[in-house]
Amino acid sequence: MSRREGSLDPQADSSISPLPHLEAKIRQTHSLARLLTKYAEQLLQEYVQHQGDPFGRPGFSPPRLPVAGLSAPAPGHAGLPAPERLRLDAAALTALPPLLDVVRRRQAELNPRAPRLLLRLEEAARQARALGAAVEAVLAALGADETRGPRPEPAVVATNAAAAAPDAGVFPAKVLGLRVCGLYREWVSRTEGDLGQLVPGGPA
Amino acid sequence: MPAGRSGPAAQSARRPPLLLPLLLLCVLGAPRAGSGAHMAVISPQDPTLLIGSSLQATCSVHGDPPGATAEGLYWTLNGRRLAPELSRVLNTSTLALALANLNGSRQQSGDNLVCHARDGSILAGSCLYVGLPPEKPFNISCWSKNMKDLTCRWTPGAHGETFLHTNYSLKYKLRWYGQDNTCEEYHTVGPHSCHIPKDLALFTPYEIWVEATNRLGSARSDVLTLDILDVVTTDPPPDVHVSRVGGLEDQLSVRWVSPPALKDFLFQAKYQIRYRVEDSVDWKVVDDVSNQTSCRLAGLKPGTVYFVQVRCNPFGIYGSKKAGIWSEWSHPTAASTPRSERPGPGGGACEPRGGEPSSGPVRRELKQFLGWLKKHAYCSNLSFRLYDQWRAWMQKTHKTRNQHRTRGSCPRADGARRERLPNHPVVAWSCGLQPSKSI
Repeated sequence: MSRREGSLDPQADSSISPLPHLEAKIRQTHSLARLLTKYAEQLLQEYVQHQGDPFGRPGFSPPRLPVAGLSAPAPGHAGLPAPERLRLDAAALTALPPLLDVVRRRQAELNPRAPRLLLRLEEAARQARALGAAVEAVLAALGADETRGPRPEPAVVATNAAAAAPDAGVFPAKVLGLRVCGLYREWVSRTEGDLGQLVPGGPA
Repeated sequence: MPAGRSGPAAQSARRPPLLLPLLLLCVLGAPRAGSGAHMAVISPQDPTLLIGSSLQATCSVHGDPPGATAEGLYWTLNGRRLAPELSRVLNTSTLALALANLNGSRQQSGDNLVCHARDGSILAGSCLYVGLPPEKPFNISCWSKNMKDLTCRWTPGAHGETFLHTNYSLKYKLRWYGQDNTCEEYHTVGPHSCHIPKDLALFTPYEIWVEATNRLGSARSDVLTLDILDVVTTDPPPDVHVSRVGGLEDQLSVRWVSPPALKDFLFQAKYQIRYRVEDSVDWKVVDDVSNQTSCRLAGLKPGTVYFVQVRCNPFGIYGSKKAGIWSEWSHPTAASTPRSERPGPGGGACEPRGGEPSSGPVRRELKQFLGWLKKHAYCSNLSFRLYDQWRAWMQKTHKTRNQHRTRGSCPRADGARRERLPNHPVVAWSCGLQPSKSI
């Protein structure tokens, strides 16, 4: 008998209970989400530091520019069934990497001497992809992956790119980047919470 | 549920992001600079200004939000509210600002000038770039590692502080022909450096210069002309070994290998050795180790651990007349001098008492050395009597001897360097010099 890592078919070997594998997968993904929540917070701190005051000051509240194709977790998110929450988490995590790439490119022009910021933005895109893929694997293991949240439409993503393009104002570009970094933190933290409820022994 | 026109749960199709090809389509949907959700426009947008200059700006409210007239608006710059007397209402929807004698930008991404509504909400923003044009970079120096590459560094003009992001570009070309080339690998040995890894010609001069550019202008350094062969350095000598010389308490033998990368080229290597006692930070340097791969250090303390390093200067490659460039020092190699088992006079000291001649192998070797000097080095005045006078003098002053000599070389009158030790007089070894003199 063998346990194939990443097996998505709980009935592949009926003599083996898929539960331990699923639990392990959930734990691992939850741990990853917890780690990335910390990194997302660090990214946000690094970002505001390089934009200058009033970015990062307590009470700084720029207009919450709509980031087309992605919003913050809705107030009713926590009340949804677990698979639905995870689907929304996965969709958001899939939408984030191109947005983070747009922010990184603009920051490369505005803050070329901030290699750590640029590296964190690049890593955040990779981390979001990795966590999104891990959440989708959990959904598949739960048998709840029949509907994937779509990526933002190309024109929508490109609109975000235009907001951060060189010919757009610098201040709006800074604000957009702050918004994207904030959304990244919110969704990674939300994912950590949703997975935490599935971890055996965790809160129901 | 996530809001928006296309929330992630609303659609089922998976489409890859197509950022670049569709950027052109975004022009239609691109937000006006400084407008959109901010409900106001600041003019000018993202201006670039000289330090000390003035700025006239306006914040024009548009749309129809309640209470959003010019009355009650205010400005902040980098989060600090600007004094009301700097602003004036131009009309019902426009607030003007006048700033004078601007300081350099606080961050390279630009100073944040923000127009606020009465309740403090942000209506619009603009980033100011206040600084100086770059000054001429200078002091370009370059070196080639084993004739395979070229690394250059320079000093930015005016101490480098322009308050604006300044881009430095190292350019080079063959002097007599060829096109301008731009170095691509920056910051290799510091913030103002660049590395050219390949495709360099020998026996022909290059012209090298640095161009500095920022939002306020550009500057170009003087041109440096050099031949790669004149600026060659190499790796530190490998396989440095330090070992005892039999039972001699005050000597260590140092051996090394010439750098292999240049072994096929004609050059006269110069070497330097430096050594220090284990718990000291003061290095002593042995110069003039020409074209040898071994050296004996003498006059060392018995029973003491020494760290030793060697470096190489490959001057004269292919007949180059230039001085060459020293390599880095080799990794430190350590060894200890032996300590005699028999206790010396005074409770274990290795040196004899004042005036008493030393005995044993040191004295025998010294006798041989003096004989050799008289024969080969025109040092007719040297004698054992002179040596004993010197020893007595040293004992009297209670100073530690620490002279060194290299094997096979003569300390001529214009000879080897002497290191001045803290609190130790240096006695010059020069043929015929009276032993009572000190430097």
